Amino acid sequence: MLTVASLGRAELERRLGGPGLDLRTGAFVSRIRSRIPQVAENISLLYADNPLQEEGGFADFHVRLRPSRGLRRWYRPQVEFDVDKLVPFEPLPLSNAFPMLEWALNWCISTRAHAYLMIHAAVIEKNGLAAILPAPPGSGKSTLCAALVHRGWRLLSDELALLRPADGLLLPVARPVSLKNRSIEVVREFVPGAVLSRPVSDTAKGTVAHLKAPAASVARMHEPALPAWVVFPKYAADAPTTLEPIARARAFMRVAENAFNYSHLGAAGFLALSGAIARCASYDFRYSDLDEAIAVFDALERPPT
Amino acid sequence: MSRLPLLLLALRDPGRVGAFTAADWDLLMRQSASMNLTPSLLALLEERGLLDRVPAPARAQFEWARPLALRHGQAARFEVAAIRTALRPTGLPLVLLKGAAYTMAGLRAGRGRLYSDLDILVPKARLDDAEAALMLHGWAATHHDAYDQRYYREWMHELPPLQHVRRQSNIDVHHAILPETAPVRPDPARLLAAARPVAGEPGLAVLAPHDMVLHSATHLFFESEFDKAFRDLLDLHFLLSEFGAEAGFWEGLVPRAHELQLGRTLFYALRYARRLLDTAVPQAVLDAAAVHAPPAPLLWLMDRLFERALLPPHASCADAFSGGARFLLYLRGNWLRMPPLLLARHLFHKAFLSPRDKPAT
Amino acid sequence: MSAGETWRLRPGQTLQYRGWDEEYVLYNDLSGDTHLLGDAAIEVLLTLNKGPASRQALAAMLETQFELDTLEADAETAALLQHLQRLYLVESAAC
Repeated sequence: MLTVASLGRAELERRLGGPGLDLRTGAFVSRIRSRIPQVAENISLLYADNPLQEEGGFADFHVRLRPSRGLRRWYRPQVEFDVDKLVPFEPLPLSNAFPMLEWALNWCISTRAHAYLMIHAAVIEKNGLAAILPAPPGSGKSTLCAALVHRGWRLLSDELALLRPADGLLLPVARPVSLKNRSIEVVREFVPGAVLSRPVSDTAKGTVAHLKAPAASVARMHEPALPAWVVFPKYAADAPTTLEPIARARAFMRVAENAFNYSHLGAAGFLALSGAIARCASYDFRYSDLDEAIAVFDALERPPT
Repeated sequence: MSRLPLLLLALRDPGRVGAFTAADWDLLMRQSASMNLTPSLLALLEERGLLDRVPAPARAQFEWARPLALRHGQAARFEVAAIRTALRPTGLPLVLLKGAAYTMAGLRAGRGRLYSDLDILVPKARLDDAEAALMLHGWAATHHDAYDQRYYREWMHELPPLQHVRRQSNIDVHHAILPETAPVRPDPARLLAAARPVAGEPGLAVLAPHDMVLHSATHLFFESEFDKAFRDLLDLHFLLSEFGAEAGFWEGLVPRAHELQLGRTLFYALRYARRLLDTAVPQAVLDAAAVHAPPAPLLWLMDRLFERALLPPHASCADAFSGGARFLLYLRGNWLRMPPLLLARHLFHKAFLSPRDKPAT
Repeated sequence: MSAGETWRLRPGQTLQYRGWDEEYVLYNDLSGDTHLLGDAAIEVLLTLNKGPASRQALAAMLETQFELDTLEADAETAALLQHLQRLYLVESAAC
């Protein structure tokens, strides 16, 4: 099977610079075009295990990243992305090119894939059961997610929970985990041999780096998972580790608030979410110590039916 | 026009999609997405039982679009009910135009059709009543710039758009289908007199079939911005196809156009619907409409301009002349709706003084 | 609002809801919104689902179901009906 690694750097750059690189991430194929060296470099590093589609096929998203033209090409250079020539956002500093690609791909999925109920959450799985970790920015969800997927949990996604209404299963996307500021160092220490992009320091969110998804998670990108737990994480320095159950109806409303497209799906969204909430045990989770946090997750029990 | 874009080929003859390659589907879905036409295309393929000929990856994208049409229909119905409640004390019938009319009347043109505003028609003398009633129920004025207010109220044929404070839905309250400043004056009193009640919806009415077609045509051929033109052309195609099956429709179409001073507009509508979307129009009707045709040299120019500007705005549908065509038609559109002195003043203001306000859809 | 006034479910509401531990989430077929409701609200809706009812009758139902005194039940019913009407779930027949 053709992957980014087996393609070789020269061919990778040719495709990126020309017809586009058709990258498969779970249910989606993204055609990426960019001549910016940082983009090729990071795709090569972080998407090494991802399968590629041959040229001339069907892609779901068509993303192009290029340096801004005109004056900004030379003075404080910028990068912009377009999705099939539509430019949804303002340009960013050129150094932000790879983070911008990740944001662009998240944007594409979350604004278009309305066959799924899409929640802003991390999703991880172990022994056939998945945990959904919805969280507003700053909750430490990504750090926790990064740690768990290097201690026996499979990564489905660090940003997008895709719940399929027909069968209530969660679909993997298995893309790099985005880390910010302190959590970059925390993860570097916690995961020996972690494959991380070079941190980019001048983003709107501070310093940003991306962690490669474990090969085992990428290999299982077509394997959906049944949700069993909804855990709202909150990191607080020196906080004791606590897991508090949440009443289901409240959990429902809180998850809906964290969804991208709950109201777009109408009754189908309501049914999908109520099915998931009925099936899952929901908790508020506070932590400061990663090892303790992992122990709590490992001890989670399958909810009674 | 050398080769028609894939999207047009698919719309003209849906059966062809069975022969499309993966690369064709890739392009087709992008053209369709650029105009939010995916739900409409889905409806068409389903009607013809062709969905199982669609390869899995493209099929998946149709499923992404499916909930949108459903949700949109629900939201539109809810808004219409809210407007009806608001207007009830005025005693005015609620006459819907365009997208909302297609939805509520269950027309083919409404299936899968997404739109961001609801348009209604009220008699000019009752505008203040209507506006007051709507504001009482939560719709607020937008466009607070005094110039914009005057643009709409004095020169155009509608109130400045009203937006609901909680739901952010928009209503355009029209008193005519063309501005007062336009060279032709389709009499709104005639349109209102011929309006038809919507079955099962007391208090709701839509324009008569001829008038609905003509309104759609004026919208298209008096327009200055062509981003949504193809979608309007598709509306026209569906309206003509559906009403064409009704007895008396074709015979009365040209006479009604003449009555409303819209003969030239109808001529263009039938011509381009036929040429681009292969809409079935009886030869007798085309011949009758031809008396309103422009002189040959002007027609030659209009063909070149419209056959570019009416296509989907996706880059794959453009050629070197498309930008220029749209620009010329932009001027023409503004010219047709406002006399020269007013136009100059308006364009000046629009270019230099108004904040840029691009509508959402 | 008078006691004898009749209330009914708004036409088109199918009352899709799920409940856990006396708290309920309900999907509004008309507005597309989802509401978090308590058990009293659900009981009112389920009663109206069987047919229109007067405010009096609804208050009596709540009085029994939830062991309230008459004054409480009256006030609760009035508040509930106003709330549910604002949500486009119910309407008074006088409308």
